[in-house]
Amino acid sequence: MRRCKVLFLLLAALLALAGCGTSYPADPEGTLDRVRGGTLRVGASPNGDWVRLPDGSGGAARVEGKEAELVQRFAERLGADIEWVTGTEQVLADELKHGGLDLVIGGLDDKTPWSTHAGLTRPYTESRDSRGSLHKHVMLVPLGENAFLLELDRFLLESGQA
Amino acid sequence: MIGTNSTQTVRFGHTELPPEQQEALRKARKYEWITIAFLAASTALVYAVLGNSQAMKAAWVEDILSFLPPLSFLLAARVIRKRPSEDHPYGYHRAVGIAHVVAGVALTVMGAYLIVDSAIGLLSAEHPTIGGFNFFGQTIWLGWLMITAMVLTAGPPIWLGRVKMKLAEKLHDKVLYADADMNKADWMTAAAAAVGVAGIGLGWWWADYAAAILISGSILHDGVRNTRGAVSALMDKRAMTYDDDAPHPLARQLDTYLRGLPWTQQARSRIRDEGHVFHVESFVVPAAGSMPSLEQLEQAREACIAMDWKVQDMVIVPVAELPSEFLPGPTTGGER
Repeated sequence: MRRCKVLFLLLAALLALAGCGTSYPADPEGTLDRVRGGTLRVGASPNGDWVRLPDGSGGAARVEGKEAELVQRFAERLGADIEWVTGTEQVLADELKHGGLDLVIGGLDDKTPWSTHAGLTRPYTESRDSRGSLHKHVMLVPLGENAFLLELDRFLLESGQA
Repeated sequence: MIGTNSTQTVRFGHTELPPEQQEALRKARKYEWITIAFLAASTALVYAVLGNSQAMKAAWVEDILSFLPPLSFLLAARVIRKRPSEDHPYGYHRAVGIAHVVAGVALTVMGAYLIVDSAIGLLSAEHPTIGGFNFFGQTIWLGWLMITAMVLTAGPPIWLGRVKMKLAEKLHDKVLYADADMNKADWMTAAAAAVGVAGIGLGWWWADYAAAILISGSILHDGVRNTRGAVSALMDKRAMTYDDDAPHPLARQLDTYLRGLPWTQQARSRIRDEGHVFHVESFVVPAAGSMPSLEQLEQAREACIAMDWKVQDMVIVPVAELPSEFLPGPTTGGER
């Protein structure tokens, strides 16, 4: 019975803390705070209409496509500049896992194998491929950066309705 | 008086249950069905909000495992009604013990697996990721939903546990007791999971694993305790009370009664707990070395069986002196 009381007190204390805290949920690594008004490092893997690299742009100054535009607007909302990094999904997912990126896009869906390396946003839109199977599209964020993820989820939901 | 006016008597083997136990059995079955219905709802709810939290996963696994004791109770309650047969002269009472072992082993294995799984997560510092969900056009943190689910599922098992505990005592049913005991402690699991998720929200990613380890530890603890109790019961440990707390007082009552008979000088019994009912072997040393009459023996046996419904099988063996190889230890059941 004593254990119960301790647990309840802990829960109450946590919830109270949560109420006072500026951000709940919080990021263990502080991604959202760092990005806001700073730089958003985005990994982009070319994939159909979702992410396109304009011809001839060997560097990564510009990225186009539906998801690239969404990310652009997200960065504007946070008052952040975007630093684009292009590469294959594997390279980008690995970089994201080790803290080198804040966000990865590439027309990924919720069946992505990179869920071991990254957190997934909520599926924000759906599409059908030529075989007729349904894809629920997501973006990748660093594992456990829940404030950043929630901010992005909010943005994606709002922009989906607009 | 037993079964005189009831159209359908309830039996454990060839033992007809007294009205009080019949009523308790009926209630126990009802509450086990209620438990199963509650668990079905609660596992579905928790599964829906599982997310990436290890603590939630552990709580969910515990919910799934909680199906085992009620199911084994209901199954065993059916099997042990069978009367003893030529092939099974002792009846089918051990079905209870077997169900108990199976449930205990399942708990032990899953508890151990979850501890390892959670420890790996903790050591590899894999931060649990919990995002938002769409709540009528608003994006809300999924963690709130998890905490709500945990708070909702915390209450009912406490009540179920309390009710079933009383019935377990009346029926002398250890599976029911183990089930009730687990239910009573279930809310701690829910609270721990809620604390773990709340911790994630604060940016304490490790809180989730800490809570998960706590929960899996309690699953493992339940498992080891149940397996141990069930195995030693199957190995014919002397009859204990329903909560395995003390030797069953019936042993002492029987011996006192037998010693008090005018034709006996000494008496001791050994008792096996078959699940609900006891099988008793009593050794008596007749006074002045003269054999008791068949009538005296028969009367003593009848009186012992009438003492408690749990005394089902009873043999009285007249001996020249108490065989110490069959009756180890200085005293009978309840004596100190």
